[in-house]
Amino acid sequence: MSELWEVLSEHLPEFSSGLWVTFRLVAISFVIAMAVGILIAALRVAPVRWLNRIGGIYVETFRNVPLLVLLIIAFSGLPRAGVPVSQWVAGTACLGLYTAAYIAEALRSGVFAVGRGQIEAALSLGLSYPRTMRRIILPQAFRTVIPALGSLVIAMIKNSAIVGGSLVALPDLLKQTREVQADTFQTNEVFFWAAVGYLILTLTATLAFRYLEHRYAIRR
Amino acid sequence: MTLAEVSKSFGDNLVLDRIDLEIDRGSAVVVAGPSGSGKSTMLRCINGLEAIDEGTIRFDGRAVHSTGREIYGIRAEIGMVFQQFNLFPHMTVLENITLAPLEVEHASKDEGRRRALRLLERVGIPEKADDSPADLSGGQQQRVAIARALAVEPKLMLFDEPTSALDPEMIREVLDVMRDLAREGMTMIVVTHEMGFAREVCDRIVFIDEGRIVEQGTPDEFFNQTRSDRAKEFVDKIIHH
Repeated sequence: MSELWEVLSEHLPEFSSGLWVTFRLVAISFVIAMAVGILIAALRVAPVRWLNRIGGIYVETFRNVPLLVLLIIAFSGLPRAGVPVSQWVAGTACLGLYTAAYIAEALRSGVFAVGRGQIEAALSLGLSYPRTMRRIILPQAFRTVIPALGSLVIAMIKNSAIVGGSLVALPDLLKQTREVQADTFQTNEVFFWAAVGYLILTLTATLAFRYLEHRYAIRR
Repeated sequence: MTLAEVSKSFGDNLVLDRIDLEIDRGSAVVVAGPSGSGKSTMLRCINGLEAIDEGTIRFDGRAVHSTGREIYGIRAEIGMVFQQFNLFPHMTVLENITLAPLEVEHASKDEGRRRALRLLERVGIPEKADDSPADLSGGQQQRVAIARALAVEPKLMLFDEPTSALDPEMIREVLDVMRDLAREGMTMIVVTHEMGFAREVCDRIVFIDEGRIVEQGTPDEFFNQTRSDRAKEFVDKIIHH
């Protein structure tokens, strides 16, 4: 038991800097994932076939290729093709674009959950289709999919370990933990603290989304 | 408001069969008929929620089913009230009513709020302004829906079975609001099974069956001197049940 606390206090700087890197990685990726996810969802529900097609191709590409493969292509493949990519760009872009495909799908299901009557009511008031989308459909779609978004964010936090564990080797919580492990050989103790670190992030996300759900829930 | 030779089908099913109808400014018209006769579809064609296959619908001289953005302007002049209320659940009552004035007419927030409160007063529930639609009874929700439709100061109001989803004790309060509107000279087209309302309030009853206007006339003509067999059958059923 004392060894557990010892390894933490001795290597606190590594653990905390790793946690901080993971947090930033997740935060930046989340912004990318939301922005791209909303855009792709909008394409997928637009009343124009070729826009749907583009959105569909995006989702099927990024949902069907493993994150690790995306990371290898971005970090190892692209530089070879003459496009230099930094650790941070590769990590946040891959994690963000990968998660965006799932967020787009969640939002799309939320859009379809908004009743036809809601759209007709907005149109009958003289609102244009884009305005109806922005004021009536998307706000309700978001509220409907808050729980689903919460699950996706938790999955993204855990997936972020792949960035540190892969050849991208961003010094995130996983990467730092491995370094401490190589230093001390206390595998059980150091990975216990890695698990705690990820739990701190995922539980915070859980609470945040529970609050959002409570705050913005639609009572019908 | 003029409909000329309007036809529409869903697949092989002809729902509107060469409908001709003219509605004068300030008149209140009730559209009656058995379910599935095309009444609601006709209403939805009038403000362009539903496309038509043939014919023309003109509102104030403008073709409703022309191409382009003109339809948005026309819709803002036609209010519509739905059977299922369709209030926006993510907004308060007040926000439901001010949405169109703010978004479509670009009215100021103060002006929108003033207008909304006046309308809530008119439909008898000014104290509900900041409530969520889910906290209101069905009758109250429908009155808010009427206020919302009135907020853009429409020239024509469409009512699509406005009391069909309401408990009996709430039908009265909604019909009262509609009666007041008619008395104030609002042009109205009302699809309803409330024949008491039709008899008392409207200027003309249009009877539709199988997508065709079978008969139309004043309430007195319709109820007391029914001409067609289909309408007779319908009136009998409605009155003697």
